[in-house]
Amino acid sequence: MAHQKQPERSIQELYRDDPERADALVWGRRRALEGAALAAMGTALGAAIPFARHMPGGLVPAALAQGATQPQFLQMEGKAPLIMQGERPLNAETPEHLLDDPITPADKFFIRNNGNVPDPVGDPRAWKIRIDGEVNTPLELTVAELEQRFEVVTRRLQMECGGNGRSGFSPQAAGNQWGNGAISNAEWTGVRLRDVLRAAGVKDGAKFTGQHGADTHLSAQGPAISRGMRIEKAMDEDTLICFRMNGAAIPQIHGAPARLIVPGWPGSLSQKWLTRLEVLNAPHTGRGMGGTSYRIPVRPIVPGSRNNGADFVDMESMPVRSVLSSHAHGTRLPAGTRSLDIRGHTWAGDSSVREVHVSTDFGQSWQAMQLDAPPNRHAWQRWQGRIALPSDGYFEVWYRATDSNGRMQPHVAANWNPQGYGANPISRVAILIG
Amino acid sequence: MRLLPYALVAALLFASATIARTPDLARRQAEAAAALADQQEEETVLAEGEGRSEVFGYCTACHNTALIRRSAFTRERWDELMDWMSEKHEMNPLEGEFRDTIVDYLARHYGPRARGPRGGAPFLN
Repeated sequence: MAHQKQPERSIQELYRDDPERADALVWGRRRALEGAALAAMGTALGAAIPFARHMPGGLVPAALAQGATQPQFLQMEGKAPLIMQGERPLNAETPEHLLDDPITPADKFFIRNNGNVPDPVGDPRAWKIRIDGEVNTPLELTVAELEQRFEVVTRRLQMECGGNGRSGFSPQAAGNQWGNGAISNAEWTGVRLRDVLRAAGVKDGAKFTGQHGADTHLSAQGPAISRGMRIEKAMDEDTLICFRMNGAAIPQIHGAPARLIVPGWPGSLSQKWLTRLEVLNAPHTGRGMGGTSYRIPVRPIVPGSRNNGADFVDMESMPVRSVLSSHAHGTRLPAGTRSLDIRGHTWAGDSSVREVHVSTDFGQSWQAMQLDAPPNRHAWQRWQGRIALPSDGYFEVWYRATDSNGRMQPHVAANWNPQGYGANPISRVAILIG
Repeated sequence: MRLLPYALVAALLFASATIARTPDLARRQAEAAAALADQQEEETVLAEGEGRSEVFGYCTACHNTALIRRSAFTRERWDELMDWMSEKHEMNPLEGEFRDTIVDYLARHYGPRARGPRGGAPFLN
């Protein structure tokens, strides 16, 4: 990495590495905190507070506050320290600065589960997938048969959680409080779903799919999730039944032995541990369909208001979004730094991205970044450029993308809905020079 | 020249080790995921107050407390979520006094909070 990069540090690390500076940063220079409270605080932080006399009276450090906002990180063999969203169900987000690889490696792939992760199977090649419903010839094919019978394709495909960006909503919406990191752009190998559907013979009038996977609900009652899409998306050339990721077996937590990849649409459609896909005349009614689930208002509703989602529509192509991957939020750079080479990725559901702009003065002026074309449709795009910094001090890098239809990331999350889909506001990375 | 066979052998050994490792890693990651999900929590991870035991007992039957601790909803939104969980996620419907106990606790301790983007200013925490 050519640029100075500083990972986000916990308060414990900050104190361990440089207690003097940490104290100056954290507590400033005001009144003292004394006695038992101070001792308790030091114990809880796992570090002494050397400059406690500067600690403002009555201030509770964020790391100790109830419902602490300090992120916890996943510790798992073969996985990077992803931001923990929850253990049951297991969900973890990739910090933006770990999304720098053009092809997302397995260790930096975000984790999204609705239920329990199934146990690995002994013979992945014998895993069976059933295609039935409104088809002339129902099929039951093993992974080995799929690979043998249909053209095998490899594509770089962006796949993101339908709720990516949810933490941008105010008031808070229900669900994992994702930043922008529930996104991936791996290289997937599999067969086109449309080739399999054509082999089965989709009947006239069939308009929807219903997907089924092997993961069970946390309540132990029924499937974890079962979503469906319009047949047009199922017939898209980039909608694949995949059995390899980045040239290797799909990791178990990411859906081995076989999963759907439905790029550009909510990730829940990319059913993991795929066992069955039915073709339907009417919209699927599985868990995760209808109501406010993966659905957004047509007529905007009052933020925070109660709504059963009856008038909402299913979320389809995801909105335009960008990440800055060269520098972590909270990066500190040497005094005198006056320019910075920055870069990241950007994508826009079924569309592509036309422009990326960056501002270092809180949106007063914007500078166009260099933007690469995607290597294939539904792959994310690299953006990069050099920014100037007029002085030492605190800056925010704001970055925003505009899609091929001219739609730009908004300044604040738009179209609030109870379960929080579609938030894609302009992002901000804080940097401190000196 | 003499190095070539060694390089080939080394490459083959490496490749077979990689192939052998993959299923093991898959199993270990699945086990790690299960271990995380099965991790026992203490009730005290939630804010102290009337109704905590009820909330802890009832909610963690399905999911862990991370889902509660990350949340910041008004009483009305918490109440709405109780219906959503019974309609969509197999929760036994909550009614009467017990429902009030649960929803009151959640609203009191996990109500709306003011926060900056990404949890606040990075150079202060």
